[in-house]
Amino acid sequence: MVFPDVILQMNAYGTQLNHVKTGAGQIMSVYDERQALTGLQKLDSQAIGAIYDQYFPEVYRYVRYRINDDTSAEDIASDVFVRLLEAARKNQGPQSSLKGWLIATASHAVNDHLRRQYRRPVEALSESLADEKPGVHAEIDAREENRMVQSAYAQLTAEQQHVLALRFGQGYSIEETAAHLKKNINAVKALQFRALASLQRQIGEVNYE
Amino acid sequence: MNNLYETLEICLQDIEQGADLETVLFRYPDLADELRPILEAAAGARNMAVPSPSVDVVRRNRARVLQQAAKMREAKVKPARQLWLASLRRLAVTLTVVAVLFLSGTSLVGAASTTLPGDKLYPVKRTWEDVLVWFTFNGQEREALEIEHENERLHELMELFAAGRSAEVDFQGLVTTQNGNEWVVSGVPVVISAQTELRDGPIGVGSVVRVRGMTQGNGIVMAERIRLLSSDAALPDAAEEPEVEEEDNNEGPNQSNENNSGPGSGNEAPDIEVTKTPETEFEPRDESFEGVIVSIDNNLLVVNGIVIDISAAEIVKGIPGVGVSVKVEGYYDLSGVFIVTKIEFENNNPGSGNDNGADNGSDDSSGGGSNDNGSDESDSNDNGDDAGGGGNSGSGGSGGGGDD
Repeated sequence: MVFPDVILQMNAYGTQLNHVKTGAGQIMSVYDERQALTGLQKLDSQAIGAIYDQYFPEVYRYVRYRINDDTSAEDIASDVFVRLLEAARKNQGPQSSLKGWLIATASHAVNDHLRRQYRRPVEALSESLADEKPGVHAEIDAREENRMVQSAYAQLTAEQQHVLALRFGQGYSIEETAAHLKKNINAVKALQFRALASLQRQIGEVNYE
Repeated sequence: MNNLYETLEICLQDIEQGADLETVLFRYPDLADELRPILEAAAGARNMAVPSPSVDVVRRNRARVLQQAAKMREAKVKPARQLWLASLRRLAVTLTVVAVLFLSGTSLVGAASTTLPGDKLYPVKRTWEDVLVWFTFNGQEREALEIEHENERLHELMELFAAGRSAEVDFQGLVTTQNGNEWVVSGVPVVISAQTELRDGPIGVGSVVRVRGMTQGNGIVMAERIRLLSSDAALPDAAEEPEVEEEDNNEGPNQSNENNSGPGSGNEAPDIEVTKTPETEFEPRDESFEGVIVSIDNNLLVVNGIVIDISAAEIVKGIPGVGVSVKVEGYYDLSGVFIVTKIEFENNNPGSGNDNGADNGSDDSSGGGSNDNGSDESDSNDNGDDAGGGGNSGSGGSGGGGDD
């Protein structure tokens, strides 16, 4: 039996990673969640860097899926990690699943963002849209179909948006989604069905308009 | 309905693994019409999925997060230092404000520096003195400054006396003489009245007090309130007073002391020449006087309002007793107590005894209330001492008579 050799290396961002040399000679990075959590409590920069590298793309994708705005998505995604640091400082951070905590926090952050956006005067938004340049319209035309879906998606409830973001934005399995939502699988299947049915209705309404 | 949800999930998984929509629906003809729009919506939802963020986005936000972590680490490690720095910053701001006030108000403070109590700018002078003391952190310098200010109070008093002005004053000093209702505090004659408020405990010769009152044209202070201070309170350095030095040379202070002793002891104590403020540079000087004992507390006697300590005295003749005339030789110590080196009690002379009785009687008549005040301290001591003291506390005159 061949035991993997553990090699300590620095990644591109200077983060120390455990690398495992497999029997076939391949080197594979191993992210040690327990070690990362311990380091996080101490606000250790290497541990925080490792956590960020591991989860930022996933958090960003989730946020960006729910918000059709690159800049806001970037801000919200990095805010999620700042919230993680603040929670760790107060000893209120995640004890076991970092990913679950991060996605749940991202969901709350997006809801807050959308709530703030909802409070904005509609007239102002309409005026800004009316003033947009022709080039922007051309881009919108190119993404017409996707935009319709996004518009319809924006009309869904937060829970429906959340389940679709996990299932189709993140590509999580139904079991994994259930774990994130802290619901049983059948309940998630029902929620998923209602969310898609609602999305389909909203797409029809957007098309009609 | 559960069947519909389950079938949808199976169809979604099949499509995710590459199956075609029509192929999937073909397997569920009963549900195909219902599932088709749902699966089309699911395809749209899947198309919304975004790629991973660019390297720039990752790097930019990584720096932001790590910077935030560094700040938090710093805040966690150095809260005490930050508090210290914050307090230092506050102090610096305060000092700056004071410096600005100083620079802008120098002329005002300068103008106020020569004012006397009762002048309009006098409060500025006193406030500035308080500010200077407040911002003097070195203990010795602070003490020296306080003494300097107390010297200034005495200087102001002398100027007020010289000008014959009446003004409200307050100063602190050592009680060197208590002659009925007339005291001497650091060389300043102070008159006690029935309205005078005596605070914070019994006050005797040697006590450090703060006096508040009104200067009178005849060179005395009518006390409104006299407060006992702790023994380590700042005292004026009377030796720095040029007028006091001159008076010392000429035995001058006795002018006021004579005024004080006049009503209290009549003609019986003409030789009091020693009621003066102790000097900082203390040089014991042999002095002598005659007087009548008004109270006895162990080795401490009060003769004509002066506390004398006979513990180290050579008793030439006689027995101590209230109302007995004495001749003493000795010197003042730093606390203002007269240390007797030689004492002579003249209690064998019936004539003088009668005189003493008459003297005490005159003391009582001239300032009975104040005499009681003055002997409060000795009264209590006497009560705890001996029967003779008890007789003494009752009345100077009757005590004297008993002794006789």
